[in-house]
Amino acid sequence: MKKRPLLLIVIALNLVVLVALAFIYPHLMVSPGPLVKGHAELATDCFACHAAWRGASSRRCIGCHAVADVGLRTTKGVPIAAGTIKGSFHQELIEQDCMACHSDHQGPKLTKRSRKPFSHALLKDAVRGRCSSCHEAPKDTVHRDLKVECGKCHQSKAWKPAHFDHALLASAALDRCESCHNAPTDRLHRQIQGSCKSCHTTEAWEPATFDHNKFFVLDRDHEATCDTCHKNNDYSRYTCYGCHEHSQATVRAEHVEEGISDFERCVECHRDPRMEPQETARGGERVDRRRNDGDND
Amino acid sequence: MQARIVRKEVLPFVLYMLALVASTLLIDAALHLLNIVWIGRWLGIPGVLLILGSFGYSMRKRKLIHSGQPATLLRWHEGLAWLGSLLVLVHAGVHFNAILAWLAVGAMLVNVASGLTGKFLIDRSRRRLEEARQRMRDQGLTTDELAERTYWDSMTFDAVRKWRVIHFPITLAFGVLGLAHIIATFLFWGWK
Repeated sequence: MKKRPLLLIVIALNLVVLVALAFIYPHLMVSPGPLVKGHAELATDCFACHAAWRGASSRRCIGCHAVADVGLRTTKGVPIAAGTIKGSFHQELIEQDCMACHSDHQGPKLTKRSRKPFSHALLKDAVRGRCSSCHEAPKDTVHRDLKVECGKCHQSKAWKPAHFDHALLASAALDRCESCHNAPTDRLHRQIQGSCKSCHTTEAWEPATFDHNKFFVLDRDHEATCDTCHKNNDYSRYTCYGCHEHSQATVRAEHVEEGISDFERCVECHRDPRMEPQETARGGERVDRRRNDGDND
Repeated sequence: MQARIVRKEVLPFVLYMLALVASTLLIDAALHLLNIVWIGRWLGIPGVLLILGSFGYSMRKRKLIHSGQPATLLRWHEGLAWLGSLLVLVHAGVHFNAILAWLAVGAMLVNVASGLTGKFLIDRSRRRLEEARQRMRDQGLTTDELAERTYWDSMTFDAVRKWRVIHFPITLAFGVLGLAHIIATFLFWGWK
């Protein structure tokens, strides 16, 4: 038991050494992480930024970084080249609380929390609505013709998701879908020359309002899959010989009997299976007449 | 005999330590999954309070307080110290950088290991002493003869019970390192 005071003295001495090391090498012993590059020279001078028992103080930051110069000039007065942000917004904050966004200690490698996300709520109302006062407008095809503030589509929390409203476009731009959108290259769309608006709305790409009746009426006897008439999903072609009802021999016999020799382009005359094709009208077109007998062609 | 030592002493010791590590990893993973890692930063405070609460037994043994059954207080000492250490370990799992803080955590783990060693050593000594006494009672020995024959065993048991002589300086080292870490935090932290 007599050895106990000696043991305690040895432990106490070790601890005194450790505490002394904490004062000599605070950046290793007590710092939560290395300082950002610009403040590296302050690594061993904790009280350059921290007030004892009260933490880091904005007043001390402002002592070196004059609010009027933040983001515009360095502490040595050298102008800062504009980066992704057009100018400094620090002068437009509702309060000077540096620590709300900055933590100059880079966190340990696994956490990396040297900077907290900027909250747009810290901006004065007048500035918050004028995104362009800080941010450069995107120059891509979607944004280049827009003259409205970003807030019409985007939220301040994140750029995406956005809610684009086509009503914001000028009518000339609204008619040129291809100026923003790439035309689909599938077989159905690449043969279409007209405007997207003839089938699609600006609300959503689907459901589309493609009207097959303009080309051929799909009545109850023609509720077939696309591939029945458009072989290999090639919508530039069709055939009426794809079902048992219309064999090439029968169609040929019926049309030759009527004195019709050109019968390969069926929908030229039979656009609506519920109608009887009339004789060719002026200009070489046939005019459909609704059948009265209920027969199908 | 070897198998018995492993089953009765080594295995429970290892399980206590493994449970501590596994619980820490589970809580840490949950905090990360739920994106509430910031909670871990604050768990150091309840952890320290629980460890301080576990000192009731130590104070009772040193007669600094006089209420409470030592056996009950010992169970509380083990439970609170284990739980407090768990919270401090989760707090440490938030990856702080400073050497002083890591030294405090290291000292805490040595302290937990020391406490568990003492617990199993005392349990084993008590069990063996009781077994020896029972054997002698079965042989029909009188109380005086029994006391005489188990004299050295009793001395050994008393010596083992003084494990806290070793446990105390380890606790002291942990206490000072922990206190230094806490003071440094109070000194530099902006409490808002």
